[in-house]
Formats: sequence, C-alpha cells, structure tokens
Amino acid sequence: MEHTVSYLVLIPLLPLLGALLMGLMYLVSCKGKAFPEKIYGIIACIGPALTFILALKVYFGLKGLPEDSRYLVQDVFTWIKVGDLDISMGFFADPLSSLMLLFVTLIGTLIHVYSVGYMAKDENFGKFFAYLNLFLGSMLILVLGSSPVVMFVGWEGVGLCSYLLISYYSTETNNVIAGNKAFIVNRIGDLGFVLGMSLLFWAIGSGGFDYMSLRANAEQIGPGVGLAICLLLFVGATGKSAQIPLYVWLPDAMAGPTPVSALIHAATMVTAGVYMVARFSFIYAEVPAAGTVVAWIGILTALLAAIFGCFQRDIKKILAYSTVSQLGYMFAGVGVAAYSAGIFHVFTHAFFKALLFLGAGSVIYALHHEQDIWRMGGLKNKMPITYWTMLIGCLALAGCPPFSGFFSKDEILFMALASGHGGVWLVGVLVAAMTAFYTFRMFFVVFHGKPRDEHAYEHAHESPKVMTVPLIVLAVGACFAGYLNIPSIFGGHLGVSHWLAPSLTEHHPHVSVWLEVLAVATSIAAFGCGIFFAWKKFYVATAEEPFYTGLANFAYNKFMVDELYHYLLVVPYKLLGTAISKSIEPFVTDGPVKVVVWLYGALANAFKVVQVGYVRVYAIYMVIGLSVLSIFISRSLNL
Amino acid sequence: MIANYLSLSVILFCFGLLGVISRRNVFTVFMSIELMLNAANLAFVALSRLHENMDGHVLALMVMAVAAAEAALALAVVILLHKHKGNLDTNVFSLLRG
Repeated sequence: MEHTVSYLVLIPLLPLLGALLMGLMYLVSCKGKAFPEKIYGIIACIGPALTFILALKVYFGLKGLPEDSRYLVQDVFTWIKVGDLDISMGFFADPLSSLMLLFVTLIGTLIHVYSVGYMAKDENFGKFFAYLNLFLGSMLILVLGSSPVVMFVGWEGVGLCSYLLISYYSTETNNVIAGNKAFIVNRIGDLGFVLGMSLLFWAIGSGGFDYMSLRANAEQIGPGVGLAICLLLFVGATGKSAQIPLYVWLPDAMAGPTPVSALIHAATMVTAGVYMVARFSFIYAEVPAAGTVVAWIGILTALLAAIFGCFQRDIKKILAYSTVSQLGYMFAGVGVAAYSAGIFHVFTHAFFKALLFLGAGSVIYALHHEQDIWRMGGLKNKMPITYWTMLIGCLALAGCPPFSGFFSKDEILFMALASGHGGVWLVGVLVAAMTAFYTFRMFFVVFHGKPRDEHAYEHAHESPKVMTVPLIVLAVGACFAGYLNIPSIFGGHLGVSHWLAPSLTEHHPHVSVWLEVLAVATSIAAFGCGIFFAWKKFYVATAEEPFYTGLANFAYNKFMVDELYHYLLVVPYKLLGTAISKSIEPFVTDGPVKVVVWLYGALANAFKVVQVGYVRVYAIYMVIGLSVLSIFISRSLNL
Repeated sequence: MIANYLSLSVILFCFGLLGVISRRNVFTVFMSIELMLNAANLAFVALSRLHENMDGHVLALMVMAVAAAEAALALAVVILLHKHKGNLDTNVFSLLRG
C-alpha cells in the first residue's frame, strides 16, 4: 500500500503533546517554583518546527506519486461504528491539505518563535504556549482529518482555543466578553456545519464517510439537497471565517495578545472556512446557485469590512478588518468556482497578514502597548527593520505588483470576471482600491510624519532579534509567495493551481487574453488610485487626528451592527429566557419534581408515628413480625 | 414426658419475652433475655434426649458460652449507660424517636 503512511498522525500529535506537557508543567509550577521561560520556549517551538519538517515530507511524498492518485492516508483506530456509520480516526493528505500544511506549520512556527520574545516576562508564559500549541494541533487535525467528522474535532478545537486565547488577559472584563463573543458566534456557525454534515451523511454517507468515498458518490445528491448542504456548510464557514452575518467576533478578537491575532488571522482559524468550502468543492461545483450566494456574501463582506477599515484608529482593528475583507475575497474566489484561486489567496494572505500583525506587534511592543495610530508617527527612523518589513506587508496586502497579494487577488478578480460574475468583479475592484487606501493610511500615519506623542517616541526602540527574524522571513514570503502561481499572461504556468487540481473539482474557463489584460489593468489602476489618495491625504499633508462626524462617525462605530445584533437578538433572547424561567419553569418543569418531593415527605411523616424510639416497642414489632412469619410458614407447610 | 420439658421451655420463653416488652429497667430487660436463652437451652437438651444424639448438648454449651460473653459486654454497656444518663430507665434512651 503505497498510499498508507505512518507519519501523518505525528503532525497533529506533536503540538498536542507539547500542549499537554506545558500544561502539566504550568499546573505543577502554579503551586511551587516556576520553570524558566527558556524551557517553555524550547518545548513550544520544537513541536511546530518538527511538524513543518513532516509537512515537507508529506509534500515530497505526494510529489513522488502519479498525478491522478496523489493522496496519503493513515487510519489510526476505528472511532465510531454504529450501523451504517463507520468512522475511523484517520488522517488524509492530498495536494490541498499539503499546501495548507506547509504554510500553517511554517507560519505557526514563526509565530511561536516571535511570541517567545513578545510574551517575555508574562506571568502566565507557560499557559500561553500550551494554548498556542493546542491551537496549532487543532488546526492540523482540521486540515488532515480524513472525514468531515474528524475535521469537526479540529473545527471545535480551534474554536475553543480562540476563546481561551482571546480572553487570555482575563483580568479585564472586556477581554472576557470578547472571548465569549467569539465562542458563541462560532457556536452558531458550528450548528450549521453539523446540520450540513448530517444532511450530507443522510444523502450519501452510507457508502463511506471519508472524503474519497463522498467524492466518488457526489453525483447521487439531488440538486435541492445539494443546495441545502452547501448553504448549511457555508453557515459554518461564515462563523469560523468571519463573513456576514457572523463576522462581528473577529474585530473583537483583537483583545488577545498580538501573536494570537496573527495566528488566528494568518494560519490557524479563519482560513478554515475557505479550506472547508474548497474541500467540499465536489458538492459546490454541482450547485452553482450556492456558489453565487457564497461569492456575493464574500464580496459584500469585503466591501463592508473595507469601509470599516478606513475609519478605525486602533492599528490592530484596522488589520482585523483587512482580514475580514481579504476573507471576503477568498470566499468570492471559491464562490465563483475558482477554488484554487481562493486557496492561493489564503496561502499568500497567510504570509503578509502574519507579517503585518507581527510588525504591528513590534510597534505596539516598542511603544509600550499603545495601539492608537493617532498617538504614533515618525517611527520610520526608530525601527528600520519593522518599517521595511511592514512596507512589504502593506504592499502585498494592497495588491501592488509584483508582491504576493497582487497575483492572488488578481487571480480571484479575473476568475470572477471570466465566470460571468461581473457584479462581483466590480465590487471587488472597488474594494481593492479601498484596501490600498486604508492600508497606506495606517502605514503613513504610523511610520511617517512627525511624532504625535513625544514621550512614547523617545522611548521607542527596535524589537529584539527573536521578533525581527520572523518578520524578515515572513517578508521574504510576502515578496515571493506570489511567484508560485503566476498566470500565463505574465509568462507563468499557474503552478499552485496545477498542484491543487487533483483535490478540487474546478474547470478553467477559456477566455480571451484581452479580458485578462483588462482585469490586470483595472486591478493595478485600483491599487494606484487607493495609494494615491492615501499618499495625498496622510503623507503630503501632515495628517492631524480627524474628528469624525455624520457618516464617517457611523462607519467608525461599525454601522452600529453590534448594537443592532444586541437589540435584535441578544435582548429578545434574554427576555425569552426570563419569561420562560418565570412562567414555564416553576410550573411545568419544577412542578412534578416538587410533587414527588412532597409525596415522599408525606409518606415519611405517616411512618414517623411508629418510630417511637423505645427499645421495648421495637421488641414488640419484632415479636409481631416473627409471629406473622411463623404463622405464614406453618400455613404454607400445611402443619 | 418430653412434652413437659418443652412446655416448660415455652413458658420460660414467654416470661422472658414479656419481661423484655414490659419492664423498663435495663437490668430486668437483660435478665429477661438471659431467661429466654435458657429456655432455648432447655428445649435443646430435651430434644437432644429425644433424638438420642449429642447435637443439642453441643448447641446448649455453645449458647452458654455466647451468653457469658454477651453478659460481659451487656454489663459494660449498662455501666456506661448509667454513667451517661444517671439512671437505667429504658424510656430515657429514646434518641431514635421519629
């Protein structure tokens, strides 16, 4: 069996073991002497680093197989076996998961290294890295699971870890609320995922519930059921990947430490939804209507988040909205059936978004936890490495050729146009311009101009090597990751798309070169417009802190969506709960219980009379009992 | 002949039982219990004689040994009860009243 290997299970297991070990160490040290940070740091980084090596091994293992049968499997044990349902705890690697593996483990490792510097002298150092390893391990289960059920284990795992890490600074109420919000919103999405999975099993699950059997049986699904499955699974994706209407948790997730934000946004969590849609491409490809819904939700999310991003003043919030916006692009990509383009954007986005978050972390660290961009400024000379790496990250995010973001974003927009989704394309171009604008608004305000807070500026300094080296590695990735998938118009041959082709069900439409030229030209023009306005407004004229009024203030307050949800959903739900607890609970559910309690009380009272407490009375009872027994026995023996 | 012995045994047993039920002094109750034990012994010995083997004798000896041990324990308990409450009326010891 050339497809069965024995090292797949190690990939999620190594970080999980690290998490277990560090968790135990942390619990032990709670009551005694703490372990030195160095030990935690080494254990934390060694697991992810080894998984990266294993991911490379998976990649080369797949490469050595013939193109039409590129997959590796490992069944560890039979997990559930009930009637038709036979699910093994198995792992499965194909080109799609190998690509995910490579960047998840690489970026995960870099973030772990960076965190050793960023979290230095934190009192819960060990706990933080235990959570971080658990997070990575869960994501790897998600990516490698051989069936939707195993994937769901990882899916829930990353939800749990996001909750733990977002509310990591748990002494502040707001952080805890943000963690709860992430968890509860994700729960709504998870319900959709479970329903979709159940429906999928009901439709075709009896022929085996791993991806390969599902894919082989996909044509048995009726169109109506297929649409329902796709939409329910997409509800799951909107929760995990922060799309309308469940995107609200992601900006609040900035409450966690900055490396956690980087991990959530770049590698471990939000990409899960896009990956899941691509993984189920064999169903989505059969139901174009579902794809259209996905594409429109995605691109509208991108637009909404871009609008919010233009008005935020917290550096991490700006980046958070840019993530939501880029995720919207990815869903637009997978929605128009360009799964490889969507996944490729996930791939490049992981590099430049991790870079931007870690760069922002470096700035925040230098300014002693100042996150307001209007209190920064002029940091260019103080932090050269951070400045140049952030510049690369911003150019990649804004989609400047030839950085990585340009190729992936352009591919999505081109595919939207080529597949006839003109509206999606138009909105996408608009969002591209806005992306360039808000990215460079942040960049110019933070690094150029004069310092706005002299005191903080005086104390600003470049971060230690353990933080800058990951930045440089990521900057290299953000520069060159795009070259892996150069379209033919630039003389490339779409390497990543070809690599992913065996895993995905997609058809490349044949369109004229002129359409492609048009798409590229508008993308570059959009980028140019965006950066020009940002340059004019925030670089040439030394920008002062704006005072928002009217619509701008409305956008700064995120269109009051949080408040809307609060009054539309949370408040009625609470009212319903109160009403039930006041009316139904005391009578319907508590009633029978209380009656039973009263009944036993009454019985006990009735029998209390015979318990007089005098020994001789008990002797009488005994005599009576023995007499009755004797009479009964002598009767039954006919004596 | 044997019937007389057994009748005496039953009469003694009933006296003992009556004593346990009706008397309130702990000592009297205790002596009544001893009376019941000896009524049983008498029945054993009589029946042993009837069957012409030694089983009843053995059991009677056994009961005497147990009764001796029980007497030692019971007297100790009686002393403790007296120390505790100052008198030996069984009505005083009614902590298990419902």
